[in-house]
Amino acid sequence: MFDLLPHIINGLTLGLLFALIALGFTLIVGVMEVINLAHGSLFALGAYFALATIGADWFAETPFGAWWLGLPLTARYVLALAVGPVLAGVAGMLLELCLRPTYGKPALYGLLLTFGAALVVEEIIRLVWGTGEQNLPVPQSINGAVLLGGMIFSKYKLFAAAFSALAILVVWLFLERTPYGAIIKAGAHDSEMVRALGYDLSRLRLLVFGFGAALAGLAGVIMVPIWGLRPHVGIDVVIPAFLIIVIGGVGSFWGAVIAALMVGLAVGITGAYASAWATMSMYILLIAVVGFRSRGLLGRKSALET
Amino acid sequence: MITLSDIPARGGSPLTPAMGLFAALVVTAPFWLQPVGLYQYLGIEVAIWILFAMGFNLLFGYAGLHSFGHGAYLGVGAYAFGLFQKQVEVSLWGGLGAAVLAATAAGAVVGLFLSHRRGIYYALMTIAFGQVFWFSAIKLRWITGGEDGLLGIPRPDLVLGGWRVDLDDNRAFYFFVATILMAAVVLMWLLVNGPFGRVLQAIRQNEMRARFIGYDVWRYKWAAFTLSAAFAGLAGGLFAMAQQSAYPDVMALHQSGLIVMMVLVGGGLVSFWGPVLGVLLYFVARDVLGGLTEAWLLWYGLMFMVMVVLRPEGLAGLIHILSRPRAADPAAARAKEV
Repeated sequence: MFDLLPHIINGLTLGLLFALIALGFTLIVGVMEVINLAHGSLFALGAYFALATIGADWFAETPFGAWWLGLPLTARYVLALAVGPVLAGVAGMLLELCLRPTYGKPALYGLLLTFGAALVVEEIIRLVWGTGEQNLPVPQSINGAVLLGGMIFSKYKLFAAAFSALAILVVWLFLERTPYGAIIKAGAHDSEMVRALGYDLSRLRLLVFGFGAALAGLAGVIMVPIWGLRPHVGIDVVIPAFLIIVIGGVGSFWGAVIAALMVGLAVGITGAYASAWATMSMYILLIAVVGFRSRGLLGRKSALET
Repeated sequence: MITLSDIPARGGSPLTPAMGLFAALVVTAPFWLQPVGLYQYLGIEVAIWILFAMGFNLLFGYAGLHSFGHGAYLGVGAYAFGLFQKQVEVSLWGGLGAAVLAATAAGAVVGLFLSHRRGIYYALMTIAFGQVFWFSAIKLRWITGGEDGLLGIPRPDLVLGGWRVDLDDNRAFYFFVATILMAAVVLMWLLVNGPFGRVLQAIRQNEMRARFIGYDVWRYKWAAFTLSAAFAGLAGGLFAMAQQSAYPDVMALHQSGLIVMMVLVGGGLVSFWGPVLGVLLYFVARDVLGGLTEAWLLWYGLMFMVMVVLRPEGLAGLIHILSRPRAADPAAARAKEV
């Protein structure tokens, strides 16, 4: 049992990170009923914008760059943590504007449009940042390993898990405790009624999409030091995200969080004993869960089924 | 604007002007491909993708079931062909038979899980299964050769009675692929314009109503999926022959998305021939735009996005609208469309 404990902790850590990725996704699905296949691309954009904020080596040769790269990494990192999500959020809003003509049509059109967008974003990333693998540097203070209860943990992974847990909590509080959250939840339930009550539905959609995209970008900045950054990271990321929302039930907040923790545990434990099959365990979990409950763990009936 | 349930059902003989034109283009391709500055291999590639796309459209356009993991069955066909050549014997018909059988079996099993799903859940499950196949192809290294795939798959000779043709010659191989393509297209035409195709279209328009009329919707959805997987497998077998290799890339989400893009851009939702246009447009874009800019996929992707928003009925729908006689009174024309 004691042998298993580190793997369980690793799995839960991974699950929290997955939950952060899936959160924006499930919010967008819930309110807009759009399966945003470009979610992974927004994740990648967030990370690349953060990379740009921290600054590349060539930048040092310019006068401003020398000053900028002279700043402590921690300061630049904290700024990157803000810039990445904000710009990803702006990109998400642009995507929402493109999506407008598809509202009221079958959900397939949103799926197709965002697939096209994913392709376009990936190509843009290739053009701007090149095809090679890059990494996002992290400050010394959260780098390295730490000994806890006789076990060694990566400091950064612990930081990422704590950060994700905090972000999930903040999003939950926002949805549950603020008036705006109430409107979003009402919009997910019955968007026509929200419009009838006098709220500007298109502004609500724009903001929700931007918020979801910003969460994707935030997940990107947090995850990439662990996973590495390459142009097609978006595709690698969007797959676990939507496996999670399907397992958890499309549009359900806690469903997504629980499913993410389950997937994280499955991957963590499989990874320890049969590492080659770690990714496969996600699919097996999906097929097992959906085989019994076709709407996922906490899913409700939704317009996406028709 | 034409609606998305506008695929005309004709019935009867496949001897139509469109079929004749298609046959003429396919047969004469090797004679004008090089003079217009294209290369012989392109014809083979395009023919294989047309076969794949039209088989996919049975599911996507006719039954309205949106599979986003169809590259998997192309890949299964390709691997089955390669493994048959390498492990069993070097035989053309054996290999193609194995490709079709393996893909049919894979499609039949996956279809069991899928067929009681609808809408987006259907699409999500096809993505998940597609990823399972892709992932297995990478991880089952001792069978599939992992990320490198199967290399050096022999291209067996075509033997018919005492007649033997060496298919290593690309022109001879093109005619072989073209013959199979024509046979498959005629078969698909008969299928979609017969009772089976009518039921599929009824399911697309309203699944519930089709069920209440008394059709076993589940079985039809399952059959449509299995059938389109079988055509994908055939295309995959030919693909392995053409490339003389099979690799996991063809099963990736990107590739499965590309086939959806081709079929939609071509107008598979409203036309039997739509997928042909889509495949042609894709390869023209790849070779013409690809010659001009490295980032041709960026432009193709943007074009696709515009198409989804403005003209989801694709090129075929556009041609349909342009070729219709202009009515003097737009209101009367609109009334006729309804």
